[in-house]
Amino acid sequence: MLAENHIISSCVIEGGDVFKNGRLLFQNKSADLTGFLLSIYQHFQLNYPKYYKMDNLSKLGWLASEVLLMDNYQKDQYQPEEVGIVLANRNSSLDNDIKYFESAKEIASPSLFVYTLPNIVIGEICIRNNFKGEHGFYIQETFDADFVIVQVNYLLDNNILKACICGWVDVLDQYYKAALFLVEKRQTDSSVPFSAKNINNIFETN
Amino acid sequence: MSSSVHIAGVGVISAIGKNVTEHLSSFENGKAGMGEITLLDTIHKGKLPVAEVKLSNGELIAITGLPPQTSRTALLSLVAAREALQDAAIPNFESLRTGFVSANTVGGMDKSEDFFVDFLANNNRGKLRNVFDHECGSKTEIVADQLGITDYMTTISTACSSSANAIFYAARLIKNDLLDVVIAGGTDALTKFTLNGFNTLMILDKEFCKPFDEHREGLNLGEGSGYLVLVSEKVARTLSKPVYCKLSGYNNSNDAYHQTASSPDGTGSYLAMKGALDKSGLKPSDIDYINLHGTGTPNNDSAEGAAVKRLFDPHYPPMSSTKSYTGHTLGASGSIEAVFSVLAIKNGIIYPNLRFETQMSELPFKPETKFIKGRQLNHVMSNSFGFGGNCTSLIFSRA
Repeated sequence: MLAENHIISSCVIEGGDVFKNGRLLFQNKSADLTGFLLSIYQHFQLNYPKYYKMDNLSKLGWLASEVLLMDNYQKDQYQPEEVGIVLANRNSSLDNDIKYFESAKEIASPSLFVYTLPNIVIGEICIRNNFKGEHGFYIQETFDADFVIVQVNYLLDNNILKACICGWVDVLDQYYKAALFLVEKRQTDSSVPFSAKNINNIFETN
Repeated sequence: MSSSVHIAGVGVISAIGKNVTEHLSSFENGKAGMGEITLLDTIHKGKLPVAEVKLSNGELIAITGLPPQTSRTALLSLVAAREALQDAAIPNFESLRTGFVSANTVGGMDKSEDFFVDFLANNNRGKLRNVFDHECGSKTEIVADQLGITDYMTTISTACSSSANAIFYAARLIKNDLLDVVIAGGTDALTKFTLNGFNTLMILDKEFCKPFDEHREGLNLGEGSGYLVLVSEKVARTLSKPVYCKLSGYNNSNDAYHQTASSPDGTGSYLAMKGALDKSGLKPSDIDYINLHGTGTPNNDSAEGAAVKRLFDPHYPPMSSTKSYTGHTLGASGSIEAVFSVLAIKNGIIYPNLRFETQMSELPFKPETKFIKGRQLNHVMSNSFGFGGNCTSLIFSRA
């Protein structure tokens, strides 16, 4: 039987709240999405100029990954090839696609165009953290915990990865939700087993 | 197991010719393939120059014998792959373990664009046969069937380094004794999708492109297909004519810098060239000619130039971008230029970099502008750098 994998940390961003490992770290209920995301960036005193170039999907996913890895991930613990990312969402890059489509009526914007793919958010997280492992992005109607578990366990159990960030990052206009999990083979004092029940519980935090 | 990989045949089609002979003649006569758009139905007609293969789909169907609805991507592929296989003339081909590794980036987008004109107007309309072969792998299967290859086939799509990676991968299949013969390369047809996409990125030159020129303004899109027939040492010994050369080095490295642009210092390009040299056991001074990626965009040429400078300074081999003839054929460019590199070794040719006027201010070298024939070339490097920083260099060496 295969060894169990473990959720080392989680981050959920939804409805003006930022949760880390189930604990509310930041709240801002009054801003629109772009303003809310910027307030997260400022609250955690992040310093990454490229943030300002990103579309909202990448901003949301990138911020969630920053909070997820904060205090729970040691940079030199794994080789770049040993860390991967598996994400899913419902609306692909449609939020930015629509903005690009509107811009193309006048002059098509190169800076919007380069975000017209959902997996760009994975690229942004990988570039930031120098992750070079396997990655995949899936478009699904709803969050499918069983599917995520099959994908991630395959990568970890076959020693393709040692750590995997997985979960859901979805944006469309003012709707947004991110739920990320850092999953590793090792167990820690605060880790919980990587099971459908546990990730669904965290996903439904609010 | 580490047997060397030999090039036994070549085939190519692009805006400057339907076969190898026509290409050599166009190079010698300085005949570029760019011009006004004549075949592609687009709003950019008369505004943006492209390098079209001067054959309509109807003419390509007549040449290849493929069904009338076949995507132009597959039509171009079959023309060049067939030429390469015939050129190689491998005895007892049917008895060998054979493979087809083909790259493309647009798949059947040309036909899908036709489908959507009707479909968007009325969701009950549009011919489904036009989208049936949309995905990239379909093109490979259509052509592999025609070539009679059933042992192994796969498709690689890594933007503009796609077909260089196909050759790289094919070499590994042979080196590891999984296959005896691999036809490897790539194909891409011009489509509205790519023309509009590159136009959006604002990297198309409204004039004919000027690679590695201080005043370069962008690339011209092209289309075409190129294939090499790679064979093991064992198969090479059974051939009735000498092989062209060996594939002695290859490497793929990634910038991980931006969705489309290269890092300004050309980190990925440097690592790819350096890695290919290491693989082949050669020094920079052993390289006799570099077929540059040289798209003509400000970003590529300065990044590639910086990487060349870092690796080769102060002794620069002759180099040029043949995209000044063929335009940028995207997924096909790596293998089309691999064909040119192989022909360079065979015929002792250094290709001119057309329309070059002013040396780039940040670089201590300039590309070759004259057609040179009859020079002994032992080692030729071919660069193919793709979006996302996906950089590949190949090195071909005299056998």
